[in-house]
Amino acid sequence: MNCDRAVSSIGAYTDGELDVRSRHSLEAHLRTCAGCATRHADLLALRKRLRSEVPYFAAPPGLRERLQAQLAAADAEERARDAARRRGRRAPFGPWLDAIGGVVGTSQWRPLTAGALGGCAATVFALVVGAAILDWRADNDLVAQAVSSHVRATLDQRLVDVVSSDRHTVKPWLSARLDYSPPVRDLAGDGFPLLGGRLTTLQGRPTATLVYGYRKHTIDVYVRPEARDVPEQRDVRGFNVAHARSPGWDWLAVSDASPDVLEAFLAHLLREAAQP
Amino acid sequence: MPHLGAGYNLARWLARDANDAEDIVQEASLRALKYIDSLNRSDARAWFLTIVRNAFYDWCSRNRPAEIARDDGSAVDAAVDHDAIDPEQAAVRRSDAKVLADAVAELPLAFREVLILREMEDLSYKEIARVADIPIGTVMSRLSRARALLQGSPQLRAIANGGR
Repeated sequence: MNCDRAVSSIGAYTDGELDVRSRHSLEAHLRTCAGCATRHADLLALRKRLRSEVPYFAAPPGLRERLQAQLAAADAEERARDAARRRGRRAPFGPWLDAIGGVVGTSQWRPLTAGALGGCAATVFALVVGAAILDWRADNDLVAQAVSSHVRATLDQRLVDVVSSDRHTVKPWLSARLDYSPPVRDLAGDGFPLLGGRLTTLQGRPTATLVYGYRKHTIDVYVRPEARDVPEQRDVRGFNVAHARSPGWDWLAVSDASPDVLEAFLAHLLREAAQP
Repeated sequence: MPHLGAGYNLARWLARDANDAEDIVQEASLRALKYIDSLNRSDARAWFLTIVRNAFYDWCSRNRPAEIARDDGSAVDAAVDHDAIDPEQAAVRRSDAKVLADAVAELPLAFREVLILREMEDLSYKEIARVADIPIGTVMSRLSRARALLQGSPQLRAIANGGR
């Protein structure tokens, strides 16, 4: 091996990235060439200094906790929304278990001794399993899914897929993506301007979602073409839920606005929707 | 978040600012959650570092667009100005560690990231190639340039000479 080739592979050699043959041939060269041997020694010295003198920045205290709180919130919503899609393909928390297993060793894992796993992993594990159990229940729970969709859209700031206060824009957009054409009314005159619409999957079915504003609040209305039995549930995780039926249509409103506002809103909506 | 520490360190070295690093790691963690399906156990750390790196570049293009343009590696030789050796500066009693850390921080972005991934995270060339989305040959040449820059950095050279 000549010096040109040696110089170009000394770095890879130092990094343990050379195959056996190249390694042997370079080592033979290093034994006979003082210049290249020095280059190699310099690289090793640099590595030693890099690893001892350049700080490895530790995450600041509190960051982990803040992230965990945030992730737990986002995770619950994400999972609730995707539950139907994911379920059946794989265990919903399998990847997280894998990730955690990679750190703590899967063999050590025992559900009831999670505390022994050490701070972060154990906390995430508990949160994820909690979310997964919620998911399983949410699958058949229309209200929980509707609330999750609302929260998720709010967190993502992606409340509307079609932004328009014009019902003549929103309605065709939704109709083109659904097997039904939901009634769309603007209620700006009543203090509930139409902001737009989006598609949501509820109980495995694409569902028209109309988005209205009320002061600083956002109201999601899930409109479906058939009447549904909806459990009497007015408050899910701090969000208010109102349900109504009109001939041919089923309405489910979710918002952080107060219950009486939500009831009033639905009343206006049904009155308008009844108009031809 | 098993690899939060590694993610934070990478973000901190790329952004060179503690607050910005926190923002980037936060964004990366949310993204990681979103794409958790693509996680495979054997390379969870490289996977998360990839997300942190991408979050950094997105953040950088929003907040410091000039930095990416400047640090694409083309202007790399300008990073080490051998005529700029300042005897006063070299004589200042700073700790060696600070000098080397500063030299790393001043490496152009494209070189800094491969160096951090290799020397601090011990990733293989293959993993670095995947994280930084570059061919393995480019990983090798950037690493080699990064090391040459550190060895040629005026402050380091001054110390090395003084020490011999």
